[in-house]
Amino acid sequence: MDTLLTADVAAKSLNFRRRSSTYVDAIHDLPEKESMAPAQLYSTESGRLFHSGRIVIATVGLPARGKTHTSVALARYLRWLGVKTHIFHLGDYRRAFVGAKGEVPDDYFHVNASTSSVLLRNKILKKCREDILNFLNHENGQIAIYDAVNPLAGGRRALAKEFEKHNVQTMFIESTCTDERIIEENVRSVKISSPDYIGWKPEDAVQDYLKRINARIPHYETVEESDLHYVKMINAGERVVVNNCAFGYLSQRIVFYLLNLHIKSRQTYFCRAGTTRDEENYKGDASLSAEGQDYARKMSEALIAHRESEHQNLIKQGAPESSALKPLTIWTSTRKRTVETASYLENKGYRVRQRSQMSQLNPGVCEKLSERRIRELFPDEVAKHEQDPYHHRYPRAESYHDLAVRLEPIILELEREQNDLLIIAHESVLRVLYGYLMACSAHDIPNLEFPRDEIIEIIPASYNNSAKRIHISDLPSRLVPGSPEDIKIPVPPSGTISPLSGMGTPAGTGTATPETSGREAGLLPLRGNISTRP
Amino acid sequence: MPSATESSSPPKEAVEQYRPNLMNQSPAEFMRPTTRTRGTSNAKTNGVGVQVEDTRICVVMVGLPARGKSLIAQKVVRYLGWLSITAKCFNVGNYRRTATPQPNAAFFDTSNKEGERLRKAAAEAAVADMVKWFKKPDNLIAILDATNSTKARRRWIKERCDAEGIESLFVESKCDDEDIIMSNILEVKTTSPDYQGQDPEEAAKDFRERIKMYERVYETLDEDEADMTYCKIIDVGAQVIINRIQDYLQSRVVYYLMNLHIKPRSIWISRHGESMYNLSGQIGGDADLSTRGEMYAKALPDLVKQSAGDLPLTVWTSTLKRTAQTARYLPYEKLSWKALDELDSGVCDGLTYAEIAQNYPEDFKARDDDKYNYRYLGGESYRDVVIRLEPIIMELERSENILIVTHQAVLRCIYAYFMGSPQDKSPWMEVPLHTLIKLTPRAYKTEEERMFANIPAVSTFREKGSKAQHQETEESTRRNSPMISGEAKA
Repeated sequence: MDTLLTADVAAKSLNFRRRSSTYVDAIHDLPEKESMAPAQLYSTESGRLFHSGRIVIATVGLPARGKTHTSVALARYLRWLGVKTHIFHLGDYRRAFVGAKGEVPDDYFHVNASTSSVLLRNKILKKCREDILNFLNHENGQIAIYDAVNPLAGGRRALAKEFEKHNVQTMFIESTCTDERIIEENVRSVKISSPDYIGWKPEDAVQDYLKRINARIPHYETVEESDLHYVKMINAGERVVVNNCAFGYLSQRIVFYLLNLHIKSRQTYFCRAGTTRDEENYKGDASLSAEGQDYARKMSEALIAHRESEHQNLIKQGAPESSALKPLTIWTSTRKRTVETASYLENKGYRVRQRSQMSQLNPGVCEKLSERRIRELFPDEVAKHEQDPYHHRYPRAESYHDLAVRLEPIILELEREQNDLLIIAHESVLRVLYGYLMACSAHDIPNLEFPRDEIIEIIPASYNNSAKRIHISDLPSRLVPGSPEDIKIPVPPSGTISPLSGMGTPAGTGTATPETSGREAGLLPLRGNISTRP
Repeated sequence: MPSATESSSPPKEAVEQYRPNLMNQSPAEFMRPTTRTRGTSNAKTNGVGVQVEDTRICVVMVGLPARGKSLIAQKVVRYLGWLSITAKCFNVGNYRRTATPQPNAAFFDTSNKEGERLRKAAAEAAVADMVKWFKKPDNLIAILDATNSTKARRRWIKERCDAEGIESLFVESKCDDEDIIMSNILEVKTTSPDYQGQDPEEAAKDFRERIKMYERVYETLDEDEADMTYCKIIDVGAQVIINRIQDYLQSRVVYYLMNLHIKPRSIWISRHGESMYNLSGQIGGDADLSTRGEMYAKALPDLVKQSAGDLPLTVWTSTLKRTAQTARYLPYEKLSWKALDELDSGVCDGLTYAEIAQNYPEDFKARDDDKYNYRYLGGESYRDVVIRLEPIIMELERSENILIVTHQAVLRCIYAYFMGSPQDKSPWMEVPLHTLIKLTPRAYKTEEERMFANIPAVSTFREKGSKAQHQETEESTRRNSPMISGEAKA
């Protein structure tokens, strides 16, 4: 048993590790090869950033306090910044050891547990910590997020000391609630969907779940060890205590991010702007054509109808009749075509904000050139671009990386926004924002496609996000696949994004879901790449 | 008869009909609000809580004297101003000084009724002025710089702000480190207007007496003020408590506060050496250094050494050839940043000023009228450059000694951050080629020193209205440029 391999853990734990796929939020995947992350500013020889050293972020908190949500959100942001981060959920290890159906002993979390429980506990902890150290020491990892309860002060000190031996800093992030309503809401939304509670009344299920937690984890000490690095988030970030965390750029950055994080869930929609009168011109700022106006109307109506039907579904599933749709806010770039695409909704009373950071990728010398012409004029640049389409920059152009760096304030406001959000922007901007929310690799981002006849919806969940497509009907077909105002920067045909969905299949079992079922179920957010274009 | 509760929520139609006006907007707003809903409605909400656009924040400093409150206040004003967020510091001490220019410590004794009355009056005058200042729609963040040491005083300020629809963010600097307090007393307070012309020893002694007076009544921010938005910084960041942050802008201010350090350090900035484009008078591009530019690159290590001695340094360059070539002989660690690249001049890239004046006469004039906001067709404005420099500034605040080799427009923007130069002046500042500038941040202003390599170069400075070719002016490499003076303490 001691030689249990991580692969077994992966196979037994459904969500542990997935095959690379842009349809599925890849936040739990370990990047397979070294490549720079979306917003990474520079790389160092070790592959680590900001000379901040290596950090273990250990969560602290009882179940249903939002630990997993915080871990996942933080990992998403850090990876996007280019910090090599991986999450180690102790629960996944526990489930892998006892099997999917198995239960850990009743006294597993007790201070005075039986010898056999202590042995089991130690074995699981040991395996998880070995994996963490292996990631930091041998895989150039910079931040390991250790998602566990870590309930006792003594255990936390020992943990920090153990990592200290390996020259790794430990930063604790405690999620704690003094407001019972937040806990109950959290239990209701993420914990009681399990088969155990089918047929229960929600209130009873919540109470039963909380009772079980209290019985199982009777001893809990809040973090107060002033010698440790810790951040204490009280009531979903209403109050944040930061202790002894000024040890590096990353620790401060993490706190800044946490200040903007909230745990309410909301949808994000992405769509393209309508077509314009002056199709090929990047520098000119043209207004929508009649066709573009028509697109704006159809897109808006499709979105409104979709939201209404989702709302009805919720009511059917037992939400109270009176529950209102979450308000919708619209962000556009400052380009006329995006502003004008939003004006149909604006006239209906929706709130629109222009964000200058959301202007499209600057095509530089490639402006107004066809792909063929670019290949003729700049064969060397095309060759370089095909090597690394994310970071390569045509003369006087921006790379996707440049774009991601300038989008950072948008990412943080995206986390803070509490309303549902529709983002109308150029395809290049949508690629980067989608890449953030779905943890796509820098390699995949330039190849993502947003056909004009679809609105992409991102549905948040604490363990991982999922994407869905909403069809806009009755659009002239020539509007749909191409993007006339697109920058025709040639991208290499890529074999890595298959139009077949991986759909959360754990590595090893490898049965791909047929394309059609995904499409029908709306589970295939994105088509593959340029080579699949008609 | 309508019930009282009905009138407190706005009618449903009013909420639904809310529409911002998007036309009057600067070309590159960053965190600046796009629209403000001021005046008639006082509608802070859109049915869903506070909107970022509607926020006006009063940052209220809290802490004993000599805890670095004024330093923090000044830095925040400069940082926000640089991001085009209009901020202003209201220093209660200045109001008090109009009545009592140089009081001794006894004035601050709480049992001194007259002193107490005058100090309360000063606080009231400062808050009244601040409220008046907020009436102007562009004014977003005020900083109330005073000790605000009692709960009663803070509650009073919060209530005043609430009544005006202004968010209050209390920032407490709590510090018991004797060394830090002493250096603050010596460096800052002995130069304070309260002690001008007095014997420094006596002044320091009186000042310590004054601190004692405050210590008697001082109450730190604590649990029973949990309804307030605050950030409590204990022992220069050893512990920070952040309570009820309400929006992105507040989180931004708090993040900035957390990145500040107070260790002494300097920043050196230089333009790249003269380039082939400088010689031909073209702008933009990615040209190599000229022969004289190459001479500057060779002279730079000695010039830096003379100024920095053996201090550890890190060199930052842009990604363009001319900065890398300029920095290549420097014996320090180097990092190149895309964010340090020159302002992108779009369609005008590679043209001379004369050609721009000829081909784009309207643009040429528009740029002269408002150089800070003018964005080249397909390119960038100074405002755009400031946005992309923001992460660089945060990294600079965290770092110690840095040497930056960059370009004219970028250098002007970084310089403006440290010196607090206004936006209508900073794009016109003359920074000659082959000159090294040393900036040393001090408590109330940034000190500047310029060193000249004495290697001739063309002048790339173009005065307003002129379309002069880049001229060979011997003296432009030698004389001091018309500096924009840094701000003094308000």
